[in-house]
Amino acid sequence: MNRTFKRLDESHRSDHKSGRRCWHLFLLGLLGLATPLTSVAADTASLPIADVHVHYSHDSVAQTPPARVIELMRSANVKFALVSSSDDNGTQLLSELAPDIIVPGLRPYRRRGELNSWYQDDAALAYVEQLLGNNRYATIGEFHLFGETADLPIPRRIVELAVEHNLILHAHSDKDAIERLLAQNETVKVIWAHSGFDGPEAIAAMLGQHDRLYADLAFRSEVGGSGSLSADWIALFKAYPDRMMLGTDTYTPERMYFLPEHASAARRWLTSLPPELAEKVAWKNAHDLIMPVWQKNQQRVTGRVNRHATNDCTADGAAGHWQQDGLTTVLTTAESMTVSEAFDAMIRVCSHDPAAVSLSDITINIDAVMRAHGHGMNYTPDVRAVSTSEHMAEFRVEGLVLHMPGEWEWQVTIKDRGASQTLLQSFELR
Amino acid sequence: MCLLLVGVLPVGADTTSFTDREIAAFLAQGPWPQTPLADPGNEYSGNPLAETLGKALFNSTLLSGDETLSCASCHVEHLGFAEPKPVAIGVATHVRNTQGLLDVGLQRWFGWDGGADSLWSATLRPMLSEVEMAADIDVVARRLQTVPQFMSAVAELSGLQKAVINERRAADNDPPTENERLVVIAAKFLGAYMRTLASPRTPFDDYRDAVFNDDTEAQKHYPAAAKRGLKLFLGEANCQLCHFGPRFSNGEFHDTGRPFFTGVGEVDPGRYAGIQRLRADRYNLLGPYNGTHAEHETRKTRTVKLGQANFGQWRTPSLRNLTRTAPYMHDGSIATLRGVVDAYADIDPDRLHNDGEALLQPLDLTDNQRNDLVEFLRTLSR
Repeated sequence: MNRTFKRLDESHRSDHKSGRRCWHLFLLGLLGLATPLTSVAADTASLPIADVHVHYSHDSVAQTPPARVIELMRSANVKFALVSSSDDNGTQLLSELAPDIIVPGLRPYRRRGELNSWYQDDAALAYVEQLLGNNRYATIGEFHLFGETADLPIPRRIVELAVEHNLILHAHSDKDAIERLLAQNETVKVIWAHSGFDGPEAIAAMLGQHDRLYADLAFRSEVGGSGSLSADWIALFKAYPDRMMLGTDTYTPERMYFLPEHASAARRWLTSLPPELAEKVAWKNAHDLIMPVWQKNQQRVTGRVNRHATNDCTADGAAGHWQQDGLTTVLTTAESMTVSEAFDAMIRVCSHDPAAVSLSDITINIDAVMRAHGHGMNYTPDVRAVSTSEHMAEFRVEGLVLHMPGEWEWQVTIKDRGASQTLLQSFELR
Repeated sequence: MCLLLVGVLPVGADTTSFTDREIAAFLAQGPWPQTPLADPGNEYSGNPLAETLGKALFNSTLLSGDETLSCASCHVEHLGFAEPKPVAIGVATHVRNTQGLLDVGLQRWFGWDGGADSLWSATLRPMLSEVEMAADIDVVARRLQTVPQFMSAVAELSGLQKAVINERRAADNDPPTENERLVVIAAKFLGAYMRTLASPRTPFDDYRDAVFNDDTEAQKHYPAAAKRGLKLFLGEANCQLCHFGPRFSNGEFHDTGRPFFTGVGEVDPGRYAGIQRLRADRYNLLGPYNGTHAEHETRKTRTVKLGQANFGQWRTPSLRNLTRTAPYMHDGSIATLRGVVDAYADIDPDRLHNDGEALLQPLDLTDNQRNDLVEFLRTLSR
């Protein structure tokens, strides 16, 4: 027996992958092949790599500590990595740990599984707008859009936000969606993730048609898979020497460990190109596109305290600052805490005399209480060590929730092999 | 001079003024509407097909044991998805009032005791409860398998998403079954639909925005009595401490001195049992059916504290849509808004522990002040 529901609406169905136009022009043979790229000898064995397609999503965070990710990147001589994650937490963790090599991208996904729904989900847009208010980024993406979905209201708003916030789009899209995005604003730039999984002929046609389009080669095994480049790919790189970039695409937690191998493999096939061009593809193109944007955006004032403004235990902008028993402790929170909304904080502990007070064994507890009400928080926040050196230990606190407005008091307890000190600081939450 | 003017103003004239601090406080009660985040652990949240199927399931009797009850049997749409009875009556009589579902997607916890950490898991409780819909997972799954629209949607969405079951977390001695998986998908469709239930803007929202925009002409439309009630709400009556933010709820739990005996020798422990239930729940965000595994979503479930003060606490309800959702309180024991205001104004401090919530005190409110508070509360509904 078959049953039915009432009021079913089938109107949601649409073919997201329908193409709008076809591209037939391939001018590679006429372009570039004769262009001499005289050598600035690049040492391909140690060629730096800019990896513009890294994700450090929630499941990856759970399995690989941020310090290990940075170690992997440094071991691979990654000059910088454009990181976007579902959720954004992973990106922020890496950015805090290694701001010299991490460029944050804002992915509109709060977790896995949203790539097919985000463009119709107001909550995804609200998430993006909230993060833009708190953090700094160079790109919005990588996001997935195909065909006419690029013209839906939420993607249109994403393009507007990109322009308002000086951000480059990073789109995993077919040609149709790429063109729709570019058409929405005459200044917006787009990095075409995976080069659309198109062949060199089609990529060349798109790059020729759109001078605000750039392309990454993430997860493209056919590019140099044999250790060298085929003629059609070489022709593409020579035709568009400033527009092609590299990326690993760490789309599963395991693939983070492929990042060094990806860099090594790229160095091998880059030897098929003239050294100067190899260097461009390896990192200079990404650097010239992304770094000016990132450097400008880093100057933006956000709702969050700039955690990198002080890399020590100074009191500037701190929510709490204590000096006691040979230690200076600094608590840094968001500038605009909101009643009953979860937020994160950082705690730095500096030793005045590392020989006398070691930071290697300390642990941190943090609570907040409303003395007038006789209660504290309803949650025990997560505290995890981010880094420890001889002079400073840094902890990230996640999941603080202050559920009422009024007078609160921070209570930070530092324990060191049996000894402990509790630091108090009153504050008002409105 | 001011005293002289008061003497010549007509009764009920608008003489209420707000301090800068009060204005800042009441602007924090908006703007409206708010966009809910995704239903945590629900990989179908925000998917239009899932929302459509969820609505159909909400109105379907397939999910009850004897096929006589649907979610809509108790959650009546024109009553803000609540019902006029003091306590719910499903297969048997419940001990708690049916909560309205408008704006439910903005909550952190679900149910009066917060025993569910997601919308989708909150739908499984009534479905499987012997008091409410008394459904059996295998029976419901077999019924769902006979609904082509549902099964084709499952097939279509499963093609897009990862498997719903997190195998790594599945308990070896009680592994998820295919039937259970199907019922959980139905619950996630329900959660996707319920997240879309939003209440409209109200006269309060118009007034709040008029103040925010410094539109003095638009401010005049707000009733003088409601304005007086708003001032009490923010100040003397201290309501805002818990009923904070655009949804008029801080999303947490408080003991407001209400009795919670449910019969002779029987109590409903409220939040205390809710946290215990949450921790034991196979369908919580730490369990095998979390389809998204986002750490920031599961943190509340891992880190919530259980303490003696939780015994007899109830989730702070939203104050929106109250004119549609009477009666009030966790047990539906108060029939009118005036009754609710009286209950707080005349609270018995002896019912509150010395070390408990110290902000609740009897309020020396006049009859007119109580009516003003009611008039204010009415402006939170449309």
